[in-house]
Amino acid sequence: MLRLLYRCALRLHPPGFRKRFGEEMLSIFDEARGRLAALRLLLDNIVSLSRQWALRSEFWNESASTPAPQAALDGIPSFCSLDPFRPRAAAVVPGLVLTMAVFSLTCVAIKYSWIHVLHVHIPEVQFEAPQWIPPNASPSGFRGAPTEPVAQSQAVAPSLPAAPTLAPEAASRPASNAPTAVGVATKAPNNRAVPPSASANSKPHEIARTSPESKSQATVDQPLAIGALPSAFAEETNLDAAARHRVIDRAITDLTKYYVDPDVAQKMSIAIRKHEKNGDDRASDGGAFADLLTRQMQDVSHDNYVAMIYSTAETSETPLAPTTEEVARYRKEMEQSNCTFEKVEILPHNIGYLKFNAFPDASICGPTAAAAMAKLNGADAIIFDLRDNPGGYANMVALIATYLFDRPTHLNDFYNRSENATEQSWTSPPIPGNKLADKPAYILTSSTTFSAAEGFSYDLKMLKRATLIGETTSGRGHMGAPHRIDDHFTIRVPGMKVINPISKTNWEGTGVEPDVKVKAADALKTAIDLAEGKLQKMQENP
Amino acid sequence: MNDDLDRFLPLSPAALHILLSLSGEDLHGYGIMQEVARQSQGKYKLGPGTLYDNLQKLIQREWVEELGLRPADDDPRRRYYRLSTAGSGVLAAEIARLAEVVREARRRLQASKSSVAKPRRA
Repeated sequence: MLRLLYRCALRLHPPGFRKRFGEEMLSIFDEARGRLAALRLLLDNIVSLSRQWALRSEFWNESASTPAPQAALDGIPSFCSLDPFRPRAAAVVPGLVLTMAVFSLTCVAIKYSWIHVLHVHIPEVQFEAPQWIPPNASPSGFRGAPTEPVAQSQAVAPSLPAAPTLAPEAASRPASNAPTAVGVATKAPNNRAVPPSASANSKPHEIARTSPESKSQATVDQPLAIGALPSAFAEETNLDAAARHRVIDRAITDLTKYYVDPDVAQKMSIAIRKHEKNGDDRASDGGAFADLLTRQMQDVSHDNYVAMIYSTAETSETPLAPTTEEVARYRKEMEQSNCTFEKVEILPHNIGYLKFNAFPDASICGPTAAAAMAKLNGADAIIFDLRDNPGGYANMVALIATYLFDRPTHLNDFYNRSENATEQSWTSPPIPGNKLADKPAYILTSSTTFSAAEGFSYDLKMLKRATLIGETTSGRGHMGAPHRIDDHFTIRVPGMKVINPISKTNWEGTGVEPDVKVKAADALKTAIDLAEGKLQKMQENP
Repeated sequence: MNDDLDRFLPLSPAALHILLSLSGEDLHGYGIMQEVARQSQGKYKLGPGTLYDNLQKLIQREWVEELGLRPADDDPRRRYYRLSTAGSGVLAAEIARLAEVVREARRRLQASKSSVAKPRRA
């Protein structure tokens, strides 16, 4: 009987105490001899019971099983704490830390799930119109960052202009920068774009103007590509903070990874992040947002090559490698335009004059260039007219320069940031029968002489092999490839720069200073005068 | 370290006796009760309620550890307890404090004896 009471009293103890000591207390009770001792233990137990409940709340906790609160009736909310447990003061700190950790994790989860929701490609049947045309269907199909249309058109068109032929990002892949080149070609006041731009022109439209029939077929095979069509529309009109944030994140990643100058890359990253925080780029429209980012990056870097580009049509997942068809088209266009060699003439006083409006790929235009130089081989002086030359391939720079030297000559180095590699560009060994190696050379420049054409001018100026006449050139010494950010945004990051072995620098931002500064329009006349004067002097003092 | 210990001093008589009883060997609850009674020559009797109330606190402060092992032939309901290093430290500090109290008490008592004697002499 007493034992039963003792057990009952034990059971009424707080669970933590009961579980820990209950059994042992009962064993002590069982040791007790005599009724009196048992009674005393029972009394002790009851005192202990009241003490544990009244004074030892900090020990109640272990799996407390107080009566469950009554469920609220009639929809009236009621608040009951599940158990009267009062935490120790010391437990508050870990509790706080844990709460904050869970809160942060939840925020992160929400953030990512939100982005996921935003960009989910739902197979859509919304645009059922038979002739669906992409919204914002400008002739080019592209928009973005045309801060100076003329300048950009030329900078972009030649695509990775002075890059060595074998550079993986660059010259070997003329179509990869189609998105940039296309938008520009239509804006150029005088379309001097090198063929790759033209060859890529039709691509985005083919994607955008998929007919309904082919759409429904494609839904089976490529649900993702089709789903992206409506999403293109959605993003065009509704670009929210999360989407902008994602573009900025990727932009910073690409800048950090590829941009030629890590310090400037960091400055740009900080700047665009700061503008984002300040809410300066709340553009709901992709094109406007791209323009803002471009301005923010260029304000800090003073590098007009770096740009964010937005296109309404989808950009492809992987950079486009030139297809055989595109290469063939480029070749054909080069043939039709005589590889941009516009004039190959012998002027009075046997002065050779060569006007060419690009440095086309030597692997295609090598023979044309060789023929032009052969025609001028007998000249006593030679004038290269680069006033309308937007640049092109480094292999053509080296090929033409080869005619001006009697030994292989180091022209410049191409430094590739992401590969941390430097590639040297040299002229070839002298061409048999060439007579131009010791003839005076003149180069005509203008403010629209770009990139590889600037490289040609700069290299020969540094080597004191040519006299530059005309205007300071545009100042593009960086090259780079567009990097795809998502279906609509592409960032153009100069990832490569020229380092001249003599000056140890390049003409980026500053342009190439001519030796004789005259207006571009007067440059040819000045060059002819100078050449005639020089030839006369040479005749007088052989 | 001493400051930390001083915070807990003086110990309650129950805590002191429990720690003292465990300073010899590991004991189960009933063993502690018996040992306390023995050490105090039966003058201090610890009931299980007080014992476990104190053990609860001592375990929480990590002065006493509960052992997982027990003799095979023992009552399985029994649990064994051991004095931890921290517990020994506390016990030593408390004993030192008590010794100081006793020394002080003796000094005072002797002083009062002499001060009582003086007026007689005067």
